[in-house]
Amino acid sequence: MLSTVLTYPVLAALTAVALPLLAFLLSAALGRRARSGSIAVASISLSLVAAAYVFGQVWNQESIRVQWEWFTVGSHRFLVGLTLDNLSAMMLLLVCVIAWPVHVYSVAYMKGDSGIHRYWAYLSLFCFAMLGLVIADNLLLMYIFWELVGFASYLLIGFWFTKESAVQANKKAFLVNRIGDLGFLIGIALVYSHLGTLDTEALTATPETFPATWHTVAGLAFFLGAMAKSAQFPLHVWLPDAMEGPTAVSSLIHAATMVAAGVFLLARIHPLFDGNTLMVIAVTGTVTALVAACFALTQYDIKKILAFSTISQLGFMMVGIGIGLFPVALFHLATHAFFKCLLFLCAGAVIHQMHHVAESQQHEIDPQDIRNMGGLRRHMPVTFATMLIASLALAGFPFTSGYLSKDALIVHTFEWAALQSGFAKVIPYLLLAVSALTSFYILRLLAKVFFGSFRVGLKDTSMLHEAPLSMRIPMVFLAACSLFPLFSMHPLNDGHVWLMQGLTTTVSSLPPLRLLHLAVPVLTTLATCVSAMMAWRWYVSSRYPLKTDSLPYRWSYNQGYLNPFYEWVIVRPLLRLSHFLFWMDLRIVDGIVNGLASLGRSLAAAASWMDMRIVDGLVRLSGKVAWWLGNLFRRLQTGRVQHYFTTVFLIILVILIYHIVVLL
Amino acid sequence: MIPLTHFLIVSACLFAIGLYAVLSRRNAIMVLVGIELMINASILNLVAFGRYDKTLYGGQVFALFAIVLAAAAVAVALAIILNVYKFYKSVNPEDINHLKD
Repeated sequence: MLSTVLTYPVLAALTAVALPLLAFLLSAALGRRARSGSIAVASISLSLVAAAYVFGQVWNQESIRVQWEWFTVGSHRFLVGLTLDNLSAMMLLLVCVIAWPVHVYSVAYMKGDSGIHRYWAYLSLFCFAMLGLVIADNLLLMYIFWELVGFASYLLIGFWFTKESAVQANKKAFLVNRIGDLGFLIGIALVYSHLGTLDTEALTATPETFPATWHTVAGLAFFLGAMAKSAQFPLHVWLPDAMEGPTAVSSLIHAATMVAAGVFLLARIHPLFDGNTLMVIAVTGTVTALVAACFALTQYDIKKILAFSTISQLGFMMVGIGIGLFPVALFHLATHAFFKCLLFLCAGAVIHQMHHVAESQQHEIDPQDIRNMGGLRRHMPVTFATMLIASLALAGFPFTSGYLSKDALIVHTFEWAALQSGFAKVIPYLLLAVSALTSFYILRLLAKVFFGSFRVGLKDTSMLHEAPLSMRIPMVFLAACSLFPLFSMHPLNDGHVWLMQGLTTTVSSLPPLRLLHLAVPVLTTLATCVSAMMAWRWYVSSRYPLKTDSLPYRWSYNQGYLNPFYEWVIVRPLLRLSHFLFWMDLRIVDGIVNGLASLGRSLAAAASWMDMRIVDGLVRLSGKVAWWLGNLFRRLQTGRVQHYFTTVFLIILVILIYHIVVLL
Repeated sequence: MIPLTHFLIVSACLFAIGLYAVLSRRNAIMVLVGIELMINASILNLVAFGRYDKTLYGGQVFALFAIVLAAAAVAVALAIILNVYKFYKSVNPEDINHLKD
């Protein structure tokens, strides 16, 4: 089993992982001298080539495992290594393919930023962490990379750390992720204590030796980790705030590196989950998809809409895991990675332009607010075209990759729900509804940004122009990847997707429902068309029928009041508790210590006083007496003979008087 | 016969006058005279008490010795005073205070 043979695919995979690390170290060492980003771009390009080679060698072949001895605890040897199977090869390639356009895009997007050398270093670190995570072969190593991913995202979200909101956002992201990390850690501990190994391959083979209760608890603990990382309700609150980072970073976080980690983890350890856990995952995914879609309906910040759309789509993926079909979830992850990355890059291009307008016109406008945009279709045709493709993919329109993955997911959910009872029967219908909501909010975004007329009073619109070429190339590349041919030669049938076929290890036991393969696509496409019409009527023709101060509207706009709720229920009591503990520490603990110290001090002061006044005092007193006597007798020695006589006479007189008085 | 007490009273008076001269005079010669008075007072005592030694006359003999010694002492003292005068150009004991060194 233990193989340490370095074959070419293994070397290539190690290279793909190590290059971004090398780029990170190099950028960190060079500091301000490495501003161009050429190191990072070169490293990720080479990683992409290496990953493509690995993918070509490993896909649909025998999986490769290489292990080395890591360390020994007691008599247990820990092995470290990497595993290259279809799953990791696919993820390795996906991360590189997404990271490459983001890097290229960042060259133009981040140009002129004063901290750009940090940006490249962090970006390389982020890619390294994610690439390491996907090829790691045991849970401990995965956990290390998992934490690194979280840390790198913390750095990038707080990239503009002089902004108070960015600092708050990265703190929030980090803290919420800590909750999930705790779950992951508990899961690792449970797995190790019951199975005696952390090897992901051994995990798939022997889940039977697990006691049923702990089996469920371990599954839920891992899911808690994935919930925080993949922004599942109610731990999704960090993701909308994470929009404080640069837009290119958001696209990377949302597409391939950060949120994908949770789904990937669940796919990697999927044999560990029992029925209860899977049901919890499916329900959580559904709730997340629904709630996030509702929140996305009313947001005005272009990036927040996309953030909630990501959360909603991650909910879909979780449902895919929950129904036991992780290939479907990963397929959706892959298609989503492309179109969501593209959506963010397009949004970045739009924000870039709005920023220029705001700067040159001295307008006090928020460059991310879609209420300020409009009619950009004419000024930014390439951006519009690519964003339209991405939006249609998100909405699940035919001929896009999103159509294939989303329909596969919904259809399989229907098949799964047919075997379930109770609440689970509702899940596929809810997903259909979410799908319609998705179409509506993304088309609302398109209508607001690209149609109508520019809403900021601008005399000269010639300054609005297309993004530079180095930003357009990644966008066009990703738009091409968001269409169907990358995944299936058959545009309308998800049965021929090579990615799902490659990842599927077991034959699905779900009874196929033929009718659904027709009904679901028709319904979703119909929903998309209807929402397109609604968006046009409401937002372009400005016949908006809803009151913006109604309770559901405000509930959605304020994200379900979850943030104030957390603030009141968790953050404030915690702060109060820590203030109380701080007070305890300061007054009681420190008080006792300080009291003892002052007691010691006063004792010492008393002893010092004794020493000074009594002990030294006696010594000095004897000295004084001697001096005083000496001084007294010194006066007698005047040098005059008559005085001596007088003295002698007086002394004799005294002796005589003494004799007379005392002796007589 | 004159009683002993009268001798002693005269002697005490002489001693007191001599002492006064020694302590208060501003001339070394007069101090020397004071000393002589005190010696004479004591010699008077010797002679007075010598009455009780009728066989050997120890008092008288001792008085003679004392007179000779006093004369010698005066001679030495006068020589000292002469030398002091040569050195200090004064015989006032107030001016001579170098004894303390």
